[in-house]
Amino acid sequence: MRRNHWQTFFLFFLLFPGSCYAAATLEALPEFLRPDPFGGIVSADQGGAQLRSSLIDAHHRVALKGWRGGYVSFQLVVKSPAPAAYSLDVSLTDPGHKIQTDLFREWFHFTRSDKHYYPDALVPVRGPYSSHLPEPDNKIAQQTAQAFWVDVYIPPEAKPGVFSGKAQLRYGASRVAVPIQLTVLDRVIPPEDIVTIDHNSYGSSFLAEQYEKAYNSYSGNWFESDQFFHLIHAYHQIFYEHRGIMHQLGYGHSGKVGPEFAPVLGGSGRTRHIVDWTLFDRHYGPLFDGSAFASSRRGPRPIPFVYLPINPEWPASYEFWGEPGYEAEFVNVLSEMERHFREKGWTHTDFEVFFNHKKRYMGFPWDGDEVRFPKDINYFLEYGRLMRKALPQNSPVHFVMRADVSWDMEQEFKLLKGVVTVWCCGGGILSFYRDAPKTLRDRGDVVWYYGGPPTVKENAAAITEFPLRAWLWGVNGYVHWLTVSPGNDPWFDFDGGGTVLVYSGERFGLTEPIPSIRLKIQRNCLQDIAVLDSFKSQKPVESLRSEAAHRFNNSVLDDWWNPRPALADIPSDQWQGSAIDAAMEHTNKALSHPGVSAWYNVHQYVLQLAGGGK
Amino acid sequence: MKTVYLLALVLTLGTLAPAQDSPLSTSTMRQELESVARVGSVMVDGDICQKIVTPLAKEYMFKVDPRDEYLAGDNYDVDDVAFNTTKKTLTRLSHLTSFPSDVNLWMPIDGHPGKIQMVIRNKNEMSQFWRWGDLYQDMIPPMETVLKTGQRVTVMDRPGWISVLAPVYNSLGDIVGLIEAVSRAKMDAHENVK
Repeated sequence: MRRNHWQTFFLFFLLFPGSCYAAATLEALPEFLRPDPFGGIVSADQGGAQLRSSLIDAHHRVALKGWRGGYVSFQLVVKSPAPAAYSLDVSLTDPGHKIQTDLFREWFHFTRSDKHYYPDALVPVRGPYSSHLPEPDNKIAQQTAQAFWVDVYIPPEAKPGVFSGKAQLRYGASRVAVPIQLTVLDRVIPPEDIVTIDHNSYGSSFLAEQYEKAYNSYSGNWFESDQFFHLIHAYHQIFYEHRGIMHQLGYGHSGKVGPEFAPVLGGSGRTRHIVDWTLFDRHYGPLFDGSAFASSRRGPRPIPFVYLPINPEWPASYEFWGEPGYEAEFVNVLSEMERHFREKGWTHTDFEVFFNHKKRYMGFPWDGDEVRFPKDINYFLEYGRLMRKALPQNSPVHFVMRADVSWDMEQEFKLLKGVVTVWCCGGGILSFYRDAPKTLRDRGDVVWYYGGPPTVKENAAAITEFPLRAWLWGVNGYVHWLTVSPGNDPWFDFDGGGTVLVYSGERFGLTEPIPSIRLKIQRNCLQDIAVLDSFKSQKPVESLRSEAAHRFNNSVLDDWWNPRPALADIPSDQWQGSAIDAAMEHTNKALSHPGVSAWYNVHQYVLQLAGGGK
Repeated sequence: MKTVYLLALVLTLGTLAPAQDSPLSTSTMRQELESVARVGSVMVDGDICQKIVTPLAKEYMFKVDPRDEYLAGDNYDVDDVAFNTTKKTLTRLSHLTSFPSDVNLWMPIDGHPGKIQMVIRNKNEMSQFWRWGDLYQDMIPPMETVLKTGQRVTVMDRPGWISVLAPVYNSLGDIVGLIEAVSRAKMDAHENVK
């Protein structure tokens, strides 16, 4: 035994000769200063250098302050000028055993376009986490720093008060400790989403691509396996846990429906009906009754929205369009769906009839997504008629028609009143119509706007602009148009992550997705907005919004809107993209780019309102 | 030499092997698709096809604006009556096969020799040639042959895929486009669901 110890020590010395003399250090950083693997801060975040001190109190402790029912986050960076083995642990002493600490190793993605490393994917690890620098799997030559994200979860039932803890680094015989003080504030973050942040995706083939080992090692049809459905639910879970929702579109631009997104149909014309719900129910049942979220810290809750597989080719065959057979097929099947959902008690989800196709993809002769040619609106009216015919007026099941709109939105708001009730609006064009959100919401409609996640090359606070804008505009939410597509090689040849906020965990032996720094920052921002919005019972919401905008980027609320341009008075099929850009000149000029500390400043305002400020 | 021959034989048989998802042999599938293409040449109305893509769409199809990367796509429009009439015919033609198939419409573009565009796709979202999302693409030699000679051409370039290309005529007797009757031995239920 003693001999084995000596052998291990000798081998360690051979592998890590520097470990005998390297002085490793442990540094704590706030969430908005992303480290690089060489001991610095990524260039996009360097403008926020003054935030370093914000995390540390006069006693050199990491000073955290958080509301109950949510998270507080910070980062730890292990640094060693020479290769070294180390272990890291974080602990908080909570006599009530309520507060939980999650530790993640930050993956440094190499982006070829600027030849820099950015941390984003967060690999869950258990403390004490033992490894060495350079981190073997990240394969960064000369790496001298490894970063960790720390989430401290404070459940609603945690006791307010002050809790102590520490982060401890061990290397060789040495130990470095960073003390932590967590102040749990009395307030509980409202559990309901004030702005809905949606994470969109298309189909399921991305799962087979990103979980290649699982897919290839499965002997049967993986797309019908428990593993597959577990994975879909895991994607919903990770977004839900981060105060978001997920959409997964189940059909193509020409109407091809993925088998797990729709019940199986039989018959034709008047005999068309649903013959098998098996895959649909395995996919959606746990999402519609909330049981998929049973283990969530937020508690089980049915998903609030879902795309239906309905498109011009499903459930009715497009070859019958305009004929009695189309109506019969559509109405019969939609009626059966309503009955099935009602019998199952799936009454807490809005079931979206949503047309995603564009005529440029050659499947159908009208644009379902972003109508540009006003004549296409007639198709929506016809589907509205068919829906009314299929669905009982007093059904407890909520079928809604959703439209994603841009050019022609102003006309559609008028012409499709009472037909479309969920609007997903292009943000640039919606900025022309300041009265629209209130008009639409006053009549009971849901209004979101859409865009894409910022890349990792933008500063860490960039992602907070989207939820803030939604709240300032008074819309219900924001849609990231694609959030599960990491590119061909996110680990060593990253495209920047403009279409991804969660990554496959398969590389790390996990059968589930893993989060990103951007997703964490977005969640923390949403917590703040929920608290901020709760003060509207005490202060006019406009004054709350004004102050938040001021703190964010020194803007006033008018800066977030554009005047209605002359362009709006000509038919939308005559608009040109360059003219739209010109019409957005006001916001482009008035809104200064948010700095790294933009959301930190808003957070301080919310703390101040809640009586927990510095 | 014998090894090379055997390897070639195995590879050839592999391509022609009975479809995993279809009980039919490749030659039967090919026969049925050729039959569909022959009937389609008669049934698809070239005059109506010529009305599908609007003048606006044609005007913008090749325009490029560095400030507006979607200029051509955003101006893509069709005459929906002509589109629907033709699509219904194409769909019904696809019902003639005993296995899932699509019949797509391709048309050359006036003033742009060497280019061709997919004009109508169908519900199985199959094509051996379409580059997903492209408004137009380079004419491939078998399509050029069909448009120049009126001959039907069978293409099996991609393993497991069979496309039969056949001419579409207008009332003047001109070849104005072609149909692609297409299927594949192994269906992919998730391809193009996006």
